[in-house]
Amino acid sequence: MDMFTAMHNGLVQMGVPLWLANLVPPLVKSLILLLFILLNCMFLIWMERKVAGHMQRRMGPMRTGPHGIIQSLADVIKLISKEDIIPSGVDRWVFVLAPIVAFAPAFAVFMVIPFGPTLIAQDLNIALIFIAALTSFVVISFLMAGWSSNNKWSLLGAMRSTAQLISYEVPLVISVVAVALLAGSLSLQEIVEAQRQSFWYILVQPLGFLVFLTASLAELNRSPFDLSEAEQELVAGYNTEYSGMRWALLYLTEYANLITFAAIASTLFFGGWSGPVLPPVVWFLIKVYFFIFLVMWIRWTLPRIRVDQLMELGWKGLLPLSLVNLAFTGVYVLIR
Amino acid sequence: MTVTDWVFLAVAAVTLFSAYRVVVSRKIMHAALWLGLTFFGVAGIFLLLGADFLAAAQVLVYVGAVTTIIIFGIMLSTPEELRGPSPEAGSDAASSAAPTRRSFLPLVTAIGFAAVMVALVNRGEWPSPPGSVSTDTPRLLGEALFTRFVIPFEVASVVLLVALVGAIALALKEESGQ
Repeated sequence: MDMFTAMHNGLVQMGVPLWLANLVPPLVKSLILLLFILLNCMFLIWMERKVAGHMQRRMGPMRTGPHGIIQSLADVIKLISKEDIIPSGVDRWVFVLAPIVAFAPAFAVFMVIPFGPTLIAQDLNIALIFIAALTSFVVISFLMAGWSSNNKWSLLGAMRSTAQLISYEVPLVISVVAVALLAGSLSLQEIVEAQRQSFWYILVQPLGFLVFLTASLAELNRSPFDLSEAEQELVAGYNTEYSGMRWALLYLTEYANLITFAAIASTLFFGGWSGPVLPPVVWFLIKVYFFIFLVMWIRWTLPRIRVDQLMELGWKGLLPLSLVNLAFTGVYVLIR
Repeated sequence: MTVTDWVFLAVAAVTLFSAYRVVVSRKIMHAALWLGLTFFGVAGIFLLLGADFLAAAQVLVYVGAVTTIIIFGIMLSTPEELRGPSPEAGSDAASSAAPTRRSFLPLVTAIGFAAVMVALVNRGEWPSPPGSVSTDTPRLLGEALFTRFVIPFEVASVVLLVALVGAIALALKEESGQ
């Protein structure tokens, strides 16, 4: 990005040491991304409550601001001002670190997401593997939270979500590999470019997209796969013992992961930021918000499935489908 | 010293410290978590060496999968299996051997391993760092794996498959034996 090169050069001319000047642009980029995540998550929490409300023929939050638009802001203030409670039986360090371990990778993933032709923090040529590697962290943070809470509901919730994540990560990654095969690159920017020169990959990857969508819902711990927080059985899952800011951080991570999923889905299968007339960023956000709405729609429409059905669907349904899809994609790429 | 050197020192210190904590942690769960940090530190060193693909694979496989499986294993074990024989209940032999096992043997092993490594490093001829490394590491790795090293690659896959089938066979045997 030219702006950041200019910023860097300006700092060097002002006599700032080179290493410090090198540090400034990445820091500014991270801050922008962090702000983007925070603001969007606040909006998404409000949006989720509104969507849920209207789907159940009620209004959702209405009191704070017009149509409750600043409800999330009020919630944030409440959460920040809450007392920081660490239950006495917990494994202190692990308990404190778990939300951070959860949020850090969810944040870092945004580094490689292309918001526009030049609007990307860092275009890595291993972006897809980078994302897969970072999202695999989530499992550990769940286990840390669940185990350190010293509470059987937390532990059971953590075990459930871990089993779920491990099962669904395999078909998810395989369905993503098929897209990488088509584009001939692991860089998200190049995948968008390849789609601009041909067509949206949803046209040749409908099966891959379905596998990706289903597996992502499971990865996000969202209904119909939200077994880890099945209230009737488990209170609230791995985050039962958390409150205040730490709980907010876990909640934030969930929504950050939701944005990541929507961004990756639109980048891999729906041409990312490309589109006519409107500026690229707007196209990107439209697509992202469409997928976020889709996920919310699914959540408030479908009932939760059982644990055994969950495992069966993952290993006996999605995994073979994703492998078949990969094999056909390979053949297609060869004869293309 | 350049910035890269400082970063290397920091990453190496984190890696070594967490590796040390893996050995001395009394709670096995903490040891597993420290092990995850060690793997992460190693990935950081790969990254500093310009092996970005390797670093990502290291995080994906070791931090994401191996550490999780270890933690799972710990959680599925009974407390007795984890704590080992408690002091009063354990036999004399076990309790007298415990301090030795904890301090003396690991030290000897570590010093021996370090000596071998130092000897090897001093002997080896280290090629000068290559002038320009291509940034397209996945392509280079892929080409190398599927042309020159295709047989070792396939053998490794078969070994993994055998391990997978073996693990399932063992688990099934245990289940039917109960």
